[in-house]
Parts: sequence; C-alpha cells; structure tokens
Amino acid sequence: MGIRHAAAWVHTPARIVGVTSPNRAKAEEAAAPYGAKVYDSFTALLENVDVVDICTPTHLHHSMVLKAAAAGKHIVCEKPLALTMWQTHEMIAACEAAGVQLLVAHVVRFFPEYAVAKGIVDRGEIGRVGVVRLSRCMFKPARDNPDSWFHDLDKSGGMMFDLMIHDYDFARWVAGDVESVFARNIAPKFPDAAGDHALVILRHTNGALSHVEGGQAYPAPMFLTSLEIAGDQGLIEHRAQSSIPLSIYLHDSGTDAHVQAAVPTSPLERDDDPYVVQIKHFYDVLTGKETNLRVTAADAAAAVQIAIAAIESTRTGRRVMLKDVVS
Amino acid sequence: MKIGMMSFAHHHAESYIQNLRAIPDVEVMGIADDDTERGKHFAEMFNTRWFESYEALLAEKPDGVVVCSENARHRPLVEMAAQAGAHVLCEKPLATTVEDAQVMVDMCEKAGVILMVAFPMRFSPVIGEINRMMRAGGLGQIFAVNGTNQGECPKHLRAWFVDKNLAGGGAITDHIVHIADLLRWMLDSEVMEVFAEANHILYADETDLETGGLVSLTFANGTIATIDCSWSKPRYYPTWGGLSLELIGEKGVVKVNAFKQVLTVYTHARQRPHYAYWGSDANQAMIGEFVAAIREDRAPAITGYNGYKVVEIVAAAYRSVEMGEVVRLNV
Repeated sequence: MGIRHAAAWVHTPARIVGVTSPNRAKAEEAAAPYGAKVYDSFTALLENVDVVDICTPTHLHHSMVLKAAAAGKHIVCEKPLALTMWQTHEMIAACEAAGVQLLVAHVVRFFPEYAVAKGIVDRGEIGRVGVVRLSRCMFKPARDNPDSWFHDLDKSGGMMFDLMIHDYDFARWVAGDVESVFARNIAPKFPDAAGDHALVILRHTNGALSHVEGGQAYPAPMFLTSLEIAGDQGLIEHRAQSSIPLSIYLHDSGTDAHVQAAVPTSPLERDDDPYVVQIKHFYDVLTGKETNLRVTAADAAAAVQIAIAAIESTRTGRRVMLKDVVS
Repeated sequence: MKIGMMSFAHHHAESYIQNLRAIPDVEVMGIADDDTERGKHFAEMFNTRWFESYEALLAEKPDGVVVCSENARHRPLVEMAAQAGAHVLCEKPLATTVEDAQVMVDMCEKAGVILMVAFPMRFSPVIGEINRMMRAGGLGQIFAVNGTNQGECPKHLRAWFVDKNLAGGGAITDHIVHIADLLRWMLDSEVMEVFAEANHILYADETDLETGGLVSLTFANGTIATIDCSWSKPRYYPTWGGLSLELIGEKGVVKVNAFKQVLTVYTHARQRPHYAYWGSDANQAMIGEFVAAIREDRAPAITGYNGYKVVEIVAAAYRSVEMGEVVRLNV
C-alpha cells in the first residue's frame, strides 16, 4: 500500500523526500522512482519531512503515530487506525495536543461508486435509510507467504478487522452511528477453510440495519464487492461484477495466481483513481484548501470500535453494545 | 382426483388453481371462502363452482384441498379438512404460532391425511441443480450462507399481509420461511441458534409491522447463515423482489439467484424497466408433487413437520428481536 500511496502523492505538489522500511531493498525500490532518500530509521526520516504517510502493519501504527505527532508532523495513516480503543484514543489525543492532522486512509470513501452512493443518500434522494447491505469477498491475501503479517491476528486483527473495516466505516458513513453489533465467522469452527468468512449485523442508533459480509474464502483471483442501500423513498444497488465496462477474453492469456493482495480495478481517469483522490484530498486539507475532512480521526476510531465489537461478538456469541467497547 | 380450494385470501391461490388444472385427471371442484364476495369473484374469474361454505365443499369429499387463507386462519381450515379426511396443501407459513403448527401436524397425522406446506422454492430447477451438486459433495462442507429474500411490501396485493392478527407479523413472517426451509433441506441440519434484528423504516406509512429484518442462523453442523427478509424493494422495482444464496464451501463458492431468468422489458405503458420471468414455474412442480403424493399414497416431499420447524425459527426470530439475545432451539 506504501507504493500505491507514493504513486498518488506524485499527483500533488508535495515531494516524496524519504522512505523507510525494515527491508532496505524494498525501501530503495520504493524510493528510486522519486529520487527519494532511504532512511535507516523512522526517527531519522521524521527530522526531514513535513508529512509522514504510514503504511506499516497495523500493530505498528500506534507507536509511529505517537512519534510523528511528538515530532510535530502531519500524519496519513493506513486503515485500521489501530487494533484497540485505548490506542486510538492515545493517537488522536497526541495529534490534537501536537496540533497535527491525522488522516486515516479509509479509501473506500474515495471509490467513486461509494462516494456517488453517499451523495445520493445525503441529498435525500432515497429518503431515510432503512437497510444497508455491503459485501467484500475475496481470496486469502498473501496465501503463499505464511509469515505475512496479514495472517497474524496480533498484527492485522484478522479479516474481520483489516478487510471488513472498510464496510463498517461505509455503513456508518451512510447510516450513522452504530449502536450494536452481532457477528458470526467461520474461522473458529472451520480452521481448514481457505480463508475466513464473516456475516455481521449492525444496528444503527437511528434504527437502520446493516448487513456487512466479508470473505477471504473465495478462490483466487476473485474479488467481489457490492453495496445496496434501501431507503423509504428509494433504493441504490451496486454489484461490482455487474458494472464491468470492459470484458476481455484472450486466447492463451494465462493467469497469474501469485497475487499478493488484490485491489479492485476499474478503468478510470487518473484524477478519478480513488487512491489519487484520497491523497489529493489529504493534501488539500493539509494546505488549508479544504476544511471538511472526508474521514475524521473520530470516524476511524468508530470503525475500529465496530471491528472490536464484531470480533467480540464472534467470541462470546452474543450481541455487543458499542458503548461497552471502551478499551 | 378432486381438489377443492379453501379460501383465496392469499394471492398464490390464483396460481395454484391454474397449476392444478394443468395436471391431467385433476378436477378443481370449486372455491369456498369465508369472504363471500372474494369467493364469488374468483369462482367467476376461474369459471369454477362457488361453495357457500367450507363444510359444503368438504361434504363433497374432495381427495385434497389447497388452503390459502390468511396465515392465522390456516389452522381452523386444516383441522376441518383433516376431519373430513381430505389431504391438505397449506400455504406458507404453516401457522403463526408454534402451538398452532404442532396441533395441525398432529391432527393431520392422526387423521391419516397428507399435510404438505407450500415451499415452492424446493422445486425451482435452479435450486435443484445446486442441491444435487451439494448432495454429491461438489462443494464439500458448507461453511456459510448469505441469503436474501427481499421483496416489496405486499400490502397492495392483500391488505391482511400487514394485519398482525391475520398475518402474524411483517417481513420476518413473510420472508424468512423460504430460505430457512431450503437451508434445513440442503444442509440436512437443524437450526441451533437464531438472532434477529428488525426495524420499521421502509414502507413505514403503510404498516406498523416490521418491514426490515436481518436474521442470523447457526446450524447444528456449524454452518452460519444470514437471511435478509426485508421488504426493501420499492414498488417500482423491475420485479416483486427475489431470492439469492451465496454458499461458501470447502471447494468453492456458489452464487444462486433463483429469479435471474428474466427479460428486461421497457414499455411506454410502464415507463420503467420490468423483468419478464421466463424460467420454469416452481409452483407447477410443487402442485404436481402434492397430487402425486395423494395418488401414490405416500408422504409428500415437504411435510407438515418441515413447515412446523420453520414456524419455530420464525417464532425464535421474533423472540430474539424482543430480547436482543440469541435464541437457542432444541435440536
């Protein structure tokens, strides 16, 4: 994701001046296209930048955000913001105290189909939102690399955190704050499944309901997303596989099964690319050109809270009230 | 074979009477209905005899009857039919309470008559295809099922659909049953736990009953499932709604859309897209099974017990909504 963010920053007036990674070769590869310097440590990098973009495994976000805030640097942080509520609170408090921006990359809010749907809801075109359905199903990421941090629950939080947080956040964006969560996943009962699959029911404070499905048990390279928002005055439906503008079937095309983690692709103008739109938005916020953040740090914290509640619900088998998720 | 129609309260009776007539050697005796106007109306429409009472119809010794009364009025009609020795096909849901369902099953058993419940989805060739694949082990163990059976609020079809006393409830009563029955059958496992959330936002001006519902089921074999039973399709949707299943299995994933065999039609008259269904009529196969079970003097493919188990799940869903807790069922 660091590579992808870097490629997006290029489309702003900002300059990528430094890269750091525990893997020196990877850092050099990432830095080369931009003539950026490779730093041996995050601390050394911090001394030479105005903004840091943190795309490390999730469990490292907390300490890095605290360091960056202490250094007075603005921060872009990959989602999920953190894996616990106390960490999110500390991170947000530190950024507030330091007077730096904390921009969490919930990129789904910048995907055009999701952003357009949000606009339709906000303009009241479908009335009051009643039932939302969101789905994000794919194969297990990095399945050829058992050492990947994606597989370590302590580092990524697992699929119900890392993948599904996109849709917890989007559900909140279109239907408001969440009051309770009920969730079931297959991993505990079926550890030999190709990946986890979870079915989550959210009740929003305003009475709306959301069904959030996340899956990594699909065969590669499948990646299917869908959204459906039913209001009392209309309905929005979107299925990624029904909105494919190009279908190309070549003889002997071969397939590459060694995909690290698939990202849905759709041919768009560069300026409409969600990752570019997201970084440009963050740049505009940092330069004061834009004041309304599309994703606030509080939004990111609320998404973390829903993820924790969902996982807690699969563990206890019961509905979890969000107000009880405090740490 | 003589078949009588008991009540046209449910609009499915309009299909079933035509399905019956399409079967050789089946004679539709006529229609009895406690709503005289309705009974006469449909007797005239379908050019069949009108009986002034259920007793009058049953007195002529039908081999079987089709009960399409309001949900809460299934029980008295099924009891009458059983006492008269007539085999019964009862519209879904079998009953609005577990107690009613139990009594109906017991009574038909004692009377030695068939009690079949109208779950036509079991006869959908689309469902049949995937069911055969699953039974042959083509998907391996099924881990999870994401099901939807959404529709429009059916009030415009019959006002009683949104009358709690007659319907038993709203979207949860109306649209859990098909998928719950299919999954019990396809997974060959019983529901162990039920959790449900419901709300009243869509079609709120048409009814006080729940119009949105999300239900989570956990089966004894470990399969997790959800059913979206919401009346979340607007009246101007291209069709009434639909039924979909996404099955996550050991060997892969299957997405089922039982009503995808449609033409998209645009007409000046409608001023909006409309789906024209061209798939097979599952009702025809279901009615055929009822007639065949009577002829062959055997249990039908869908028994009263199957209907009872689904009523149990619906009741558990309402209990869960009320308590905000998971409801456990005895397996």
